Amino acid sequence: MHVDQAAHRLGLVPGLTLADARARVPELWIEDDDPPADSRLHAHLAQWCDRYTPLVGADGADGFLLDITGCAHLFGGEERLCADVTGRLRGFGFHARSALAGTPESARALARFSPGGIVTEGGEAEAVRPLPVAALGIAPDPVRALARAGLKTIADLADRPRAPLAARFGADLLDRLEGVLGEKIHPISPRRPLVEKQVEQLFPEPIGRVEDMLAALRDLAGRLAILMEQDGEGGRLFEAAFFRADGKVRRIAVSTARPLRDPHLVARLFSERIESLADPLDPGFGFDSIRLAALVRQVRRVAQAGLDGREAASEKLAELVEHLAARLGEERIVRFAAQDSHIPERTACLCRAQTPPPDASAWTCSAAGEPPLQPLRLFEPPQPVEALAEVPDGAPMRFRWRRVTYEIAAAEGPERIAPEWWRREEKPLTRDYFRVEDRDGRRFWLYREGLFGDEVEHPRWFLHGLFA
Amino acid sequence: MSCAELVAATNFSFLRGASSGPDMVLRAVELGLNGIGIADRNTVAGVVRAFVPVRDAQVRYARENNGEAMPFKLLVGARLAFCDGAPDVVAYPADRDGWGQLCKLLTVGNLRGKKGECVLRFDDLLARAQGLLLVLMPPHNPREAEPKLSELAEAAPGALWLGGAMHRHGSDRRRLAVLRDMARRSRVPLLATNDALYATPEQRPLQDVLTCIREGLRVDSAGRVLEANAERHLKGPAEMARLFRDAPEAIEETQHLLARCEFSLSELKYDYPEEPVPPGKTPQQHLEDITWRRAHLRYPGGIPPKTERLLREELAFIADSDYARYFLTIHDIVRFADDRGILCQGRGSAANSAVCFILGITNVDPEEIDLLFARFMSKERDEPPDIDVDFEHERREEVIQHIYQRYGRHRAGIAATVISYRPRSAIRDVGKALGLTEDLASTVWGSWGDNLPDNQVRQAGFLEQNPEIRRAVDFANQLMGFPRHLSQHVGGFILTRGRLDETVPIGNAAMADRTFIEWDRDDIDALGLLKVDVLALGMLTCLRKALDLLKTHCGKEHSLSSIPRRDAAVYDMLCRGDSIGVFQVESRAQINMLPRLKPKEFYDLVIQVAIVRPGPIQGDMVHPYLRRRSGAENVTYPAPSPEHGPADELVQVLGKTKGVPLFQEQAMRLAIVAAKFTSEEANQLRRAMATFRHVGTIQTFRDKMVEGMTRRGYDRGFAERCFAQIEGFGSYGFPESHAASFAHLVYVSSWIKCHHPAVFACALLNSQPMGFYAPAQIVRDAREHGVEVRAADLNASHWDNTLEEGEGGVLALRLGFRQIDGFREDWAERLVTRRGLGFPDLESCARRAGLPRRALEILADADACRSLGLDRREAAWIVRRLPGEPLPLFAAADAAELGEEPQVNLPAMPLAEHVVTDYQTTRLSLKAHPMSFLRGRYRGEGLCDCREVSARRDGAWVRLAGVVLVRQRPGNGNAVFMTLEDETGITNVVIWARLFQQFRREVMASRLIEVHGGVQRSPEGGVHLVARRVIDRSSDLHHLADSGSISEGGDRAAHHPRNVRIIPKSRDFH
Repeated sequence: MHVDQAAHRLGLVPGLTLADARARVPELWIEDDDPPADSRLHAHLAQWCDRYTPLVGADGADGFLLDITGCAHLFGGEERLCADVTGRLRGFGFHARSALAGTPESARALARFSPGGIVTEGGEAEAVRPLPVAALGIAPDPVRALARAGLKTIADLADRPRAPLAARFGADLLDRLEGVLGEKIHPISPRRPLVEKQVEQLFPEPIGRVEDMLAALRDLAGRLAILMEQDGEGGRLFEAAFFRADGKVRRIAVSTARPLRDPHLVARLFSERIESLADPLDPGFGFDSIRLAALVRQVRRVAQAGLDGREAASEKLAELVEHLAARLGEERIVRFAAQDSHIPERTACLCRAQTPPPDASAWTCSAAGEPPLQPLRLFEPPQPVEALAEVPDGAPMRFRWRRVTYEIAAAEGPERIAPEWWRREEKPLTRDYFRVEDRDGRRFWLYREGLFGDEVEHPRWFLHGLFA
Repeated sequence: MSCAELVAATNFSFLRGASSGPDMVLRAVELGLNGIGIADRNTVAGVVRAFVPVRDAQVRYARENNGEAMPFKLLVGARLAFCDGAPDVVAYPADRDGWGQLCKLLTVGNLRGKKGECVLRFDDLLARAQGLLLVLMPPHNPREAEPKLSELAEAAPGALWLGGAMHRHGSDRRRLAVLRDMARRSRVPLLATNDALYATPEQRPLQDVLTCIREGLRVDSAGRVLEANAERHLKGPAEMARLFRDAPEAIEETQHLLARCEFSLSELKYDYPEEPVPPGKTPQQHLEDITWRRAHLRYPGGIPPKTERLLREELAFIADSDYARYFLTIHDIVRFADDRGILCQGRGSAANSAVCFILGITNVDPEEIDLLFARFMSKERDEPPDIDVDFEHERREEVIQHIYQRYGRHRAGIAATVISYRPRSAIRDVGKALGLTEDLASTVWGSWGDNLPDNQVRQAGFLEQNPEIRRAVDFANQLMGFPRHLSQHVGGFILTRGRLDETVPIGNAAMADRTFIEWDRDDIDALGLLKVDVLALGMLTCLRKALDLLKTHCGKEHSLSSIPRRDAAVYDMLCRGDSIGVFQVESRAQINMLPRLKPKEFYDLVIQVAIVRPGPIQGDMVHPYLRRRSGAENVTYPAPSPEHGPADELVQVLGKTKGVPLFQEQAMRLAIVAAKFTSEEANQLRRAMATFRHVGTIQTFRDKMVEGMTRRGYDRGFAERCFAQIEGFGSYGFPESHAASFAHLVYVSSWIKCHHPAVFACALLNSQPMGFYAPAQIVRDAREHGVEVRAADLNASHWDNTLEEGEGGVLALRLGFRQIDGFREDWAERLVTRRGLGFPDLESCARRAGLPRRALEILADADACRSLGLDRREAAWIVRRLPGEPLPLFAAADAAELGEEPQVNLPAMPLAEHVVTDYQTTRLSLKAHPMSFLRGRYRGEGLCDCREVSARRDGAWVRLAGVVLVRQRPGNGNAVFMTLEDETGITNVVIWARLFQQFRREVMASRLIEVHGGVQRSPEGGVHLVARRVIDRSSDLHHLADSGSISEGGDRAAHHPRNVRIIPKSRDFH
């Protein structure tokens, strides 16, 4: 368990078990640990630190080491830089503390174990003396062992002969000690920048014609395809940024239904999108550069085409969906997806066509040789009808729908479907469905709403669908 | 037309059935069915629960209708689900042999699978279908089952039915026509069933929730995994006839099947093993021979007349009831333990008999207290005798394996324990199924008890009106008490003469080498089967070690029975409340009770053990008893009005306890004598209160008892208190016979503590973990009793704590390596065997004992190198320089001596830090109490110490600081009790509930706490501090730990509780 400051003030400390903490403060707010989110945030912040220096290193899961050699003057000196870093981080809602020193170890020790601040050159040894030995950044075990030996501060170590220390705690301890005391400098290891898939083309003369822009996009898409091919990826979301000569930037994005690389297809998607824009691209004095990036990428499996051409058909469908989506907007191209429910109107829903095709087996099918239990066509909402039937659960003998009376010749049922009790509905009622055929051979799907006697006194009848 | 439902599951079809067996049966009777067949999935674990109400009802019906049999029949069987894709088959035994077949069949499946699994194949059934009546339950598409149907029809000619159900799935009638067709072709009759999963349609939501729990789904996304409707409830004859109007013959078949089944669980007559009886003798002769032989051995000068009379009476009773083999079986087990030197003692209704005393099963001398055999002797209780035997907990497994060996696994099995849903597990599983956050489970119930007070929910940030929460809570309440799975009982053995697996299926337990049966102790009780409880008791281990130490160090050979009785010094010690470490009477409540009760003789100890229990406390019987005992109140016996019976009818029941009911059997006798319960009703009452699930039915008993007693002229208040007490016994029933056996151990442990405190402390420490107190308190108590305690040392200690020659010939206690956290037994062994005359220095210790550096570091840290002239700091500094891993012998011999090195001048370790480190490494310190270092500072603040608190007058206002030893919150939750300790003693603090709400965090979190409050003295000399305000002073301990301070907001790791643990964690309620 970790705690925030408010919890700390209540006397809760990291490492307590949840049950213990709850026993003390029952109204505790608890969030689950989410290490991936933490590391994403950490990586994001590290990237943000690039604004100060290109040399940013991670320090544990909750700190950063910045090598600001030669950068401080850009921010008006060391003090202003430190104030800027902590000020902005606090603005984001973090508790931040910073220290600036000649070696990364001493800066780290001071930031974590003292109020922080700036150490004048050569003052490291003096500044770190009162800090506890834990400030060396060593494991808990040697910290405890040192404490048992009565060596609790860095000063206790600094003033003693170093050979016996090395014999007991290893050369690493001395190494760190020297680092903290400013006697030895270890360069920080900067994190690896995120690899992005983006290509850019600058134009000697600003361009303004759409054809030129599309041609440029095609070239860019070709270069991007090579980048993605190296990693076996395809793009799911592309973004083109058009930089206008006067500094304005226009960004246009297209998404695809499958990982895509083919430059022609990518360019065509953009051309369709651009043509259908409600507010067309305004070149003004022309664009002086275009940048194309694949923002979302996926591994693209290279599949051999089957002989029956079935994959080709689904490729075609995907292509069609992409084009329609690029032209009409993604949200307007939808398809049915099966939903798992006993309630007929809830067995299907509409979802975006670009989402991966749903599993066809999720649809209810009657067994081979059995007639379908539900019609393909359903009324939404079901049509009220008047019906005559035997109580409590007999099949209807005749019913009246839209002023026409149908005499029923054959019926099967009931298929009883109880309401989904976990939904908050006004008055959930059980339905008894019947498949019926009238004297002319028309087939209907009717239901009685409510169990006679148990749920309602006079059940109502509905026509829910027609069998083809 | 008569109709029976023959395919019904109960909640023992785990996470499938949504009604209990009794509910199913009750509903079937209500609906007018004339029979029900209970068949759970691959188990018969639930059938006894369904059987008991039917049997009771049948007895009642016969009584009320001049012996006519009730027109209702219960079939018990199992639904066999196969692992090879074959359709389910419901199997009922046609007769006793059929039951044996079914049990064997399930045993085969159980032993094939892991714990809780039954792996059955269709072939298994084909091979064992004789004597079974089978119903094949066709799958969704019935035609798939046709080959299996004809296979089975051949294997079980004339005993197979095809089950058809009408669940209103739309094409029911077409399906029924298909089934009829199949049935005709295979010449198997069609049977109308409803394949019921619950009693009434209202249980459908619960069944959906169960399905979700089983499948790990959420209701709103489970979809068609759930049933489409609520049709799988029991249906009455008319409704069934309407559903099966196309096949009326299927309804008739229910009657045929019902008539074919002639088996009832009441046929399971118990047969005792014959093993211990030599050929040519009857068990009764053998028992009598042994008894008299041993009696003469025990009383060479002649058997005391009282004992002799009792033996004759008891033996006659045993002969009459044919219980000789039972006593012989127990005797046999006890003899085995005796031969192996394993201490044991029996308890239970039959255990405190003269026969058991003579046979060595118990040590409670019939001469010493009045006989308790009466409970067992009563003929009306037609139940087998009950003897539990406790063994040393470290050696019980030997006894268990002996039993398996002696009787064979096919004849011996451990009883099951049904693990049921408890509030916490219920709300957790329900919450998950309803898609609520995991958090709810821990928050709603969190650390609270068995109920859900609304204000707890509100406090936890949930509105109890919130329908989602409300619904989750409702479901959880329904689910509570549902069985989740079977587990093995701690030690209840079932032994049979014939094959056990023909009486009940056997399954594998999670533990290796254990098998257990499918019934739990209630089931076994209900069927009248014999059970031998082989239990583990920590105190027996401790006493065994103490007796061994007495022998080696004092030259006195004692056994549980030879400890001198009626020793006034022992009782004086107990009257002072000086009972830390003593069996049973060492808790705070017991220690408070001792000076009030002032035990003077053995029977007082029996009462002492029984009185501090929920029963007498809830029944408000404690104070009346104490008043009468001290003479402040006259002993009177409540009496009925003269026309209803003799005024002294309760004297016999309550005579021994001054007119106040204290024991479970007294409460039961009260129900019979005063409220005129029949013995059958009293038994039902006893069973009802033992089972958690029956909370509902207890109300009817309540009315019956209170009204019954009031009607007969008893005071209503007295009647209500009696019943409250019975309810209190519910979970912790404490019969006199158990109390008597325990009291004997109380006496024995007190005697050793009183006369050999060093031996007692040593044995107690070597038996840890057990009992109520941590090693620190045991050591402190020993030192207060004048025992010299010596610290663990690498040249003197063994793994266990040991006794050494102390000053003046008194024994001194040497702490062993086991007291050092993290030290391993094999290290200790190597150290001791290679120590020789002692190690001269650490280097030679490392080399000769071949210990890893880690071991030496721990020893150094624990300050166990003083014999080398090194304190922990110096020792640790040297150890850290040694090579990390022990060198092989030759390499070590050749290794260069470690060279000289410059002086490091480590600072000397202050005493306070030594003490703190002692606590961190050994959880106790012999050097000083941590509080003594804070005393100066606290004096300055005007805080007093524990000794001063005990000396203050009643009502005095004091401020006290102390280390928290124990936090307790008794059942009713009115108060929290804390025990504080400092260098001068301990103080008990009472925090009333309202104050606790206010200072909750301080009370729960503090290691060191400051309490302001008033002193409360009881007339017997007990002192409490009633808190008005508490302050968390734990941070003072941190300052003790290191004189150098850690800057505020420093590294978080520094505040990790492991690093700041100075005082071992207190014992807390949760």
